[in-house]
Amino acid sequence: MSHNRPNPSHKTLASTALKSVVASFTVAALSMGVAQAEDRLRIGITQNNVGVDSYQTTYETAFKEAAAQRDDVATVVLDAGGDVARQIAQMQDLIQQNVDAIIIWPTNGQAVVPVVRQAHNAGIPVVVTNSNIAEAGQDFIASFSGPNNILQGQYSAEMMCDQLGGEGQIVQITGQPGYTTAIERQKGFEDRLAEICPDVDLMESQPGDWNREKAQRVMEGFLTKYDTIDGVYSGDDNMGVGALNAAKAAGRADEIKFFGATNFAVGYEAMERGEYHGSVYQSPAEDARNALQTAIDVANGEDVPKLNYFDTPKITQDNMSEFEKPVF
Amino acid sequence: MKASLPMSNSSTVATDNRKRVLQFLGKHGILLAFLLCMMIFSLTTDRFLSTGNLLTVLMQVSILGTIALGVTFVVIGGNLDLSVGSLLSFATVLVVDLHDKVGPTQAIVLTIVFTLIIGAINGTLVGYLKLNSLIVTLGMLSAIQGITLIYTSGQNVDIQDQENTWFAFFGREAIFGIPVPAIIFIGLAIILQVVLLKTAFGRKVFAIGGNGVAAAFSGIYRNRMVFSTYLLSAFTTACAAIILGSRVMGSQNNVGQGYELQVLAGVILGGTSLLGGSGSIMRTVIGILILGFIQNGLLLLGYPYYAQWLVTWVVIILAVWLDIAAKRGRLLNDF
Repeated sequence: MSHNRPNPSHKTLASTALKSVVASFTVAALSMGVAQAEDRLRIGITQNNVGVDSYQTTYETAFKEAAAQRDDVATVVLDAGGDVARQIAQMQDLIQQNVDAIIIWPTNGQAVVPVVRQAHNAGIPVVVTNSNIAEAGQDFIASFSGPNNILQGQYSAEMMCDQLGGEGQIVQITGQPGYTTAIERQKGFEDRLAEICPDVDLMESQPGDWNREKAQRVMEGFLTKYDTIDGVYSGDDNMGVGALNAAKAAGRADEIKFFGATNFAVGYEAMERGEYHGSVYQSPAEDARNALQTAIDVANGEDVPKLNYFDTPKITQDNMSEFEKPVF
Repeated sequence: MKASLPMSNSSTVATDNRKRVLQFLGKHGILLAFLLCMMIFSLTTDRFLSTGNLLTVLMQVSILGTIALGVTFVVIGGNLDLSVGSLLSFATVLVVDLHDKVGPTQAIVLTIVFTLIIGAINGTLVGYLKLNSLIVTLGMLSAIQGITLIYTSGQNVDIQDQENTWFAFFGREAIFGIPVPAIIFIGLAIILQVVLLKTAFGRKVFAIGGNGVAAAFSGIYRNRMVFSTYLLSAFTTACAAIILGSRVMGSQNNVGQGYELQVLAGVILGGTSLLGGSGSIMRTVIGILILGFIQNGLLLLGYPYYAQWLVTWVVIILAVWLDIAAKRGRLLNDF
């Protein structure tokens, strides 16, 4: 938030003692808060872990920009730093402040359900952004805004099936165990692959924790273990590039097709070089704008679909010129 | 050794033998555990015992192992260094980011300098101000993570021209078929083993960790020695970061997360006492290799890699138990 300036009458007081400085700031802050409550929608957001990756950082920047463009909206932007306990406390703070809507990027889809319910009971609509909360919490949320991760997994399965010509032996490197995005992409991928490509054999899956170096190590293990690998599906491009690094080091990159999700700049570049074969284009800015719009609609009492997805198209070497290189 | 003390005359031959076995296990248990590990995995997976796979594991552990070399000195000196995880993140981000901005050579030099500065801060706080090393380095763990995030504002950093930089040498190339990371790791291990055992510096590190007061009375500057061990662990961490940056050609902000505990696990597994005063570089290397082979072997067997955490824990408990048992001469303690 911008600096809240105490009014001049407070200023003279403030110069006399430190206490009154604090008091004047508090008064000014309170009066600001009240003023905002009168004419603007107040929307609070508690994010997962800004700064831990470029996606979340770009998301926050885009969210603030989008909010700044709206005169009718004031936002409280918080970040849980990946800590569930802190996120629950932030949710409780936002409930106390009685904001008009809360956006939550869950640090843990299961653990935040009780506090989401608390907000619901307090009459504050909750919009879940980016990755959904557990089934048990679905009754308490107004809407989920984010990518359709199951569909993304399905897209990757379709691209894999298509480019392998319907047969081959593949391996999978998944995201962090327990993370909804990871679980959904894996499920979408595996189910769709079995459906449309029964002759593609998924030999093994291992978690790569969204970490490129770990994915590289996992892939090195796969390369030792299997003489034939025709394709690799990674839960995101960051890990996908790790897998590609490993295959290149082993001199086997030419015989393998690489697919991922959440197209990263490194994945985009590898695709330009012809080494990487497909991904799903997911813009964090689009993600943020969609969440804000959904929250505004919900706060205004409009009808919003329960699952409010934003578009995440397939990107391959053939159509990549239609997309800008991702900023992260 | 102890078996030749006059006391042993009174004990029966059986207890004597048992003590000898236990002492042998305590001394060489880690080596036996290592061989046992290798045996189990080579019997259960046919791919395990191939030159290619062994070299892959050696390369994979080189990052962890290189850090552990420096940390071994810190631990022998009677302190801990838990900051190496985020120090690795910091240094990797720095070397990758600076690579494109100022060139590889300058990036490497600057990374080593900045990492050493952080090591010097640790060393000053623990060595000269005599603050508790656990608190200092645990605090440093978060502080450096914060610095890294501020530096990058959360963005991933990548090296643009990955194909044509000689920086690839450290993480991606091999000499006579041996990966360069492994050569750096083993090379540093040999040098530091010699430093630890054959130089005055090494003996002083043992002395301050074994009995700081006695060391001080013998004219050893404890402050300066502790300070140097932290510089050393910062230096080996910088080397590990150069390997990691070159291997991945990019870095996430939290790439070193959790390394501090894995490093410590390797050091403990190698039998270095957490109380200081004893330990060995070569045994740390074996400890780290065990960690690496457990991870690799379980992966080849098809278990998820996090099964290694459980197995590692069991192996550490066994190693520590054997160590204690050897010292008191029996497997179970009397109540």
